[in-house]
Amino acid sequence: MLELVDLSKKFKQNDAVKNLNMFIEKGEIIGLLGPNGAGKSTAISMLSSLIEPTKGDVRFRNKSMIKHPAPLRNVIGVVPQEIALYEDLTAEENMQFFGKIYRLRGIQLKKKIDEVLEQIGLTDRRKDIVKTFSGGMKRRLNIGVAMLHDPEIIIMDEPTVGIDPQSRNYILETVKRLNKEKQMTVLYTSHYMEEVEFLCDRIYIMDKGNLIASGTKDEIKRILSAEKTISIQADRWNDEFIEELKQNPTVNRVTVGEKEITIIIPREVNMFAAIIKMAENADVELNSVDVQTPTLEDVFLHLTGRALRD
Amino acid sequence: MIGQIVKKQALLLLRNPIQILLLVGLPIILIAILSTALGGMMMSGESPNIHVKLAFVEHGDEEAEIQRFLGELEDEGMPREAIEEMETGIEQMAPVSILKESVLGSEEVREFVELHEVEASELTEIWDDNSYTAVVEVPENFTYESLEYLVLNKNSQPVLEVSQNDDHQIGPMIINDILIQFQEQLTLGAFLEKNGIEQDVIQLDEGMFSGETLTLDQKNPIGSQEYYAVGMTVMNVLFIASTIGTIAFMEKKIHVFDRIILGNVSRWEYFIGVLLSGTLFSFIHLLIVYGFSWIVYGVRWPDLISFFTVTASLAIAVGGIAVLLTAISYRFNSEMITNFFAGIIVTLMAVLGGSFFPIGDSSAFIRALGNLTPNGAGMSSYLMILRGDGIAEISHHILFLILFAIASIVIAAISFPKRGASV
Ligand SMILES: Nc1ncnc2c1ncn2[C@@H]1O[C@H](COP(=O)(O)OP(=O)(O)O)[C@@H](O)[C@H]1O
Ligand SMILES: [Mg+2]
Repeated sequence: MLELVDLSKKFKQNDAVKNLNMFIEKGEIIGLLGPNGAGKSTAISMLSSLIEPTKGDVRFRNKSMIKHPAPLRNVIGVVPQEIALYEDLTAEENMQFFGKIYRLRGIQLKKKIDEVLEQIGLTDRRKDIVKTFSGGMKRRLNIGVAMLHDPEIIIMDEPTVGIDPQSRNYILETVKRLNKEKQMTVLYTSHYMEEVEFLCDRIYIMDKGNLIASGTKDEIKRILSAEKTISIQADRWNDEFIEELKQNPTVNRVTVGEKEITIIIPREVNMFAAIIKMAENADVELNSVDVQTPTLEDVFLHLTGRALRD
Repeated sequence: MIGQIVKKQALLLLRNPIQILLLVGLPIILIAILSTALGGMMMSGESPNIHVKLAFVEHGDEEAEIQRFLGELEDEGMPREAIEEMETGIEQMAPVSILKESVLGSEEVREFVELHEVEASELTEIWDDNSYTAVVEVPENFTYESLEYLVLNKNSQPVLEVSQNDDHQIGPMIINDILIQFQEQLTLGAFLEKNGIEQDVIQLDEGMFSGETLTLDQKNPIGSQEYYAVGMTVMNVLFIASTIGTIAFMEKKIHVFDRIILGNVSRWEYFIGVLLSGTLFSFIHLLIVYGFSWIVYGVRWPDLISFFTVTASLAIAVGGIAVLLTAISYRFNSEMITNFFAGIIVTLMAVLGGSFFPIGDSSAFIRALGNLTPNGAGMSSYLMILRGDGIAEISHHILFLILFAIASIVIAAISFPKRGASV
């Protein structure tokens, strides 16, 4: 339905986005994951026709949207990274203004406002000035304003930055519900891998302007398919045990924490029995031994050698 | 859509009472402060800026008229002793001498009024000489008629003919105030004299610059309150431009502008919305402040059609500035131009336009320059309307205001960033 082809943006010498290729199908929740400065917002601005790409194309229903973006604008709702609201106006006044910008009028507008306020849980605060809202409420209204014109695709740029966990969960649940109940297509941008992991069907990972991985959650995690991580927990260790783990030829890496040791081993190796034996020999009392499923964080670490959040 | 943008802009302004208070309350307070402060400044004669060159022409002969008046008293059969007594006291009632020597020749007045006694034959030359602020002509029989009026209560008080140089702003105002004062004092002096109360030379009293105006025989004089009502209003309306510019840039900064664009509203609709907001709010601002001036300071407009024409033209010019500030701040993605305008340019333009004192009186060049600011052109037009000029006399100022607005809008349209030029 929506497709980015070799999309690139250069700010002077800075390649903010390089040859980004991406597609979004109806009803999907797509995640765009990357650390700050990866180029996510720049990609979204190009996609939503706010800035012109240096190179590449944005195609909607097989038509280029670069020169004449009106058809695309009509079907997308953009939730900017910033709180793009009038702080001096009430929630309702904000919605009225933006609703009118989308040419909604009269009863139709009023009904839509009521409906969206309900969805974002701000019905009882509709008459309050936005300035008095908490960060989470502002974020919710920021999303609500983008939904007034019933967009087919909603594009959210880090919609949960800087808010409390409760509001964050509320937003995540809302996005999931909208997708389920109204088949709304979602492009969700974040630098929190757990959000993307929770919400998204397919994921694109960006770093320094480059797309470094893409695919379904499982596909991406299979990037780490050669290895697995085992977490060993105990109240205290002794050197003999640690030494024995390190000497073991099948163990690739050992990381020692106060009450946890993680080891990385080839995926096909089963080491449970061996670890328990080693602990017995060294007189270490184990609390647990678990195989950890790799996270997107691990994938990112694997691909870039850096943590997602700095 | 444009209407929605204007409506929302108004709502934002209304939600900001401090802003409104500054825009509307400040000029009202400044008018009060400046019009009293200016009065004080001129009373103490401390301002070297104020210099009035006054031509004084006597068409009659005061001495002869006094003698004729005394002769008439005799003819009417007044007792000989009474006439003799009057002859000694008449010195104090000779109106022209009092005006020349005690009033215009007094020490306080001499500091800023340069008196030139000239012959009637030189008048044509003086009309052409722009350095004169005003010409006071004493008509024939002025002394005779004054005495008849003062002593015998016959006829009405004769008037002096005053012609003002409209290019000078504050000078004519001073002359008018002095003359009004003089005529009132003369009547009072005669009253005291008749009732046997001794009085010294006529004193200019404290109330001289009360800002009260009376109509003399020619155009309306401008009082200091009127002067500052106009001066402060045309200055303050410029802040509407920066206020609108600030709101518009805020819309860019918080990405509301992006939202508007994403709603398939063209940037030109937004542009026109800003222009119209600036124009409309300026117009309303001018009406509110002038309304206050009318109620509180009694500033009345003799010709409402001219008044509204100037007000509308000035409002469009300010709207032009608003959209120009918006376009430049969008282009450079910085509020600096708007802050610079509100902080420095407005003050410069206000000084140049004559909002604080009639700077144009000191040089024709500065006057011309002042009239090339929208506030200066507006101010000149308003003052001319107050003096009684009609729309024809101010048409060149109105034309300038419109051209200024068009130039601003065109430059704004050229600099307003197209899509992708800036994020
Ligand atoms: N308007 C701009 N002018 C110049 N550089 C920019 C601009 N916007 C973004 N950048 C740069 O482009 C890169 C990507 O930024 P951005 O898209 O905001 O990343 P993200 O949203 O992933 O945090 C950064 O290096 C940023 O500094
Ligand atoms: Mg971003």
